[in-house]
Amino acid sequence: MTEPVLACSDLRYAYLERFAALDGVSLSVAPGETVALLGANGCGKSTLLKVLDGLIFPDSGEFHAFGEQVLEDKLEDEQFNKGFRGRVGFVFQNSDAQVFSPTVREEIAFGCLQLGLDRATTADRVDDVVSMLDIGELVDRAPYQLSGGQKKRVAIASVLVMNPEVLLFDEPTAALDPRTQFWLIELLHQLRTAGKTIVLASHDLDTLPELADRCLVFSEEHRVVADAPTGELLADHDLLLRVNLVHERSQLLRR
Amino acid sequence: MTTSTAQSQPAPAWLLQREVALCPCGCIGKRRKGSYVAKTLSGASGVLRQAMSSDDIAAQPGLLQRLDPRIKLVSLLGLLVTVALLRSLPLLAGAYVVTLVLAAASKLSVTFFIKRVWLFIPIFTGIVVLPATLSIITPGHVVLPLWTWHGQPQGFTEQGLHSAGLIITRVATSISLVVLLTLTTPWVRLLAALRSIGVPRMFVLIIGMAYRYLFLLLDTVDDMYTARKARTLGGGGDSAAGRRFVAASAGTLFGKAHQLSEEVHQAMLARGYTGDARSLQVFRLRRIDVVWTICAAAGAVALLLADRGLGG
Repeated sequence: MTEPVLACSDLRYAYLERFAALDGVSLSVAPGETVALLGANGCGKSTLLKVLDGLIFPDSGEFHAFGEQVLEDKLEDEQFNKGFRGRVGFVFQNSDAQVFSPTVREEIAFGCLQLGLDRATTADRVDDVVSMLDIGELVDRAPYQLSGGQKKRVAIASVLVMNPEVLLFDEPTAALDPRTQFWLIELLHQLRTAGKTIVLASHDLDTLPELADRCLVFSEEHRVVADAPTGELLADHDLLLRVNLVHERSQLLRR
Repeated sequence: MTTSTAQSQPAPAWLLQREVALCPCGCIGKRRKGSYVAKTLSGASGVLRQAMSSDDIAAQPGLLQRLDPRIKLVSLLGLLVTVALLRSLPLLAGAYVVTLVLAAASKLSVTFFIKRVWLFIPIFTGIVVLPATLSIITPGHVVLPLWTWHGQPQGFTEQGLHSAGLIITRVATSISLVVLLTLTTPWVRLLAALRSIGVPRMFVLIIGMAYRYLFLLLDTVDDMYTARKARTLGGGGDSAAGRRFVAASAGTLFGKAHQLSEEVHQAMLARGYTGDARSLQVFRLRRIDVVWTICAAAGAVALLLADRGLGG
């Protein structure tokens, strides 16, 4: 059996030591797998993604990435930090938080330059990603001149340019128009085919079969209540109702 | 089965009936002036947007736009110091005319340029120097008598007007130089130029991000105000309510800004930021930069020598 790329066991995390976000969550993601974290608003999906990206650290439980335990102290180590940050990319739900540089070009180049790539290689990579995502006309613009969909593309470009092995997406299709949504789904397909490991948080069940092989379902009590292949999980209407992913009147239940 | 219980409650009767704008007589109301809050907010966001969209002007193919931003920054700072040292009114006026010529050569609208510079001078400098023009502050030859004091005519003195003219021209020329720099240099390149002349990286990074997020916060303020306006009857003329709104908005905005700053920091960390931001920007000096540097330096030296020669 292949060693998991990401592995968590019994993670617990509470905001301000009061508001529980994760309550004994365990997860294992194999290389090349696409896993969706499903659950209602506030169930802990985004928190788990932040733990998986080493941005916050669990109150208890362990998180291993690429066979190494990820700890706050370890990420202080420059070598470990560069290795980890270069291999795990995170696309935030709020693109405004992620697109912080004065221009799109600087934004896309940010990660590579931080990880120590020289300017010439970074510029080449930026050009490649820009043409791949078809955002050539945006490169000299300031973030405030971009629409929501354009910001999302820039945010994705700024992560892809680092060529990470693992990609974490927080609600990737939320608040996007249908064309941008399907552009994103196509892109995720390409990334899967290229062998990338993808973990995404979502509560959009319509696009799910296109996005993930396997799903982890969170209850509103911040626990994982199911871990199953996407098709199997979407057929379990009782579970979906219980965890507030669908309503009795949802279209999905009428099909 | 756990489904939302809130949705199963019937809607209250009043919600199902039509109401005419909550006014018992059903009148439409009368027109009122907008509150100071509305004016301040819309004014602030409008002016800031306008000021910060000057990147379009900076993209025009003018003289100063072609210069390397570092050279432009250093040379205009040098000229600023020179202007501060000049004590001759004709030379200062000449320097001001040169700034107008530079504005025209940089494809800026001279009228717009003059307006932008002179908009603040009467407010900030005029008020300060006005008393100095009077004989009670600067004694001398009274050129425009306004009143008499113990039989002596009092009013504007020649010496006072000369000093005021000197200060106003100096301020106008200095502001013109700064406006030339900011209007002809895209913000990003200006920040990079600041960095390359030794301004600490962290300082430049913070200014850059403040500039970027100012727009987002302005939008938030705008949204918050619009949302309130949409629910306000009677035009919002109550200034106490206005003050309460400003206080509450400031608090909310502070909370939102804090949350956003935390997320931005996480987004930076996620891409390898460890406290030392690097930039893609590289500058290369060209012949025009060398020619400009020589001209600016020669101009500054000539002005200082002429000033000394005139015994200013």
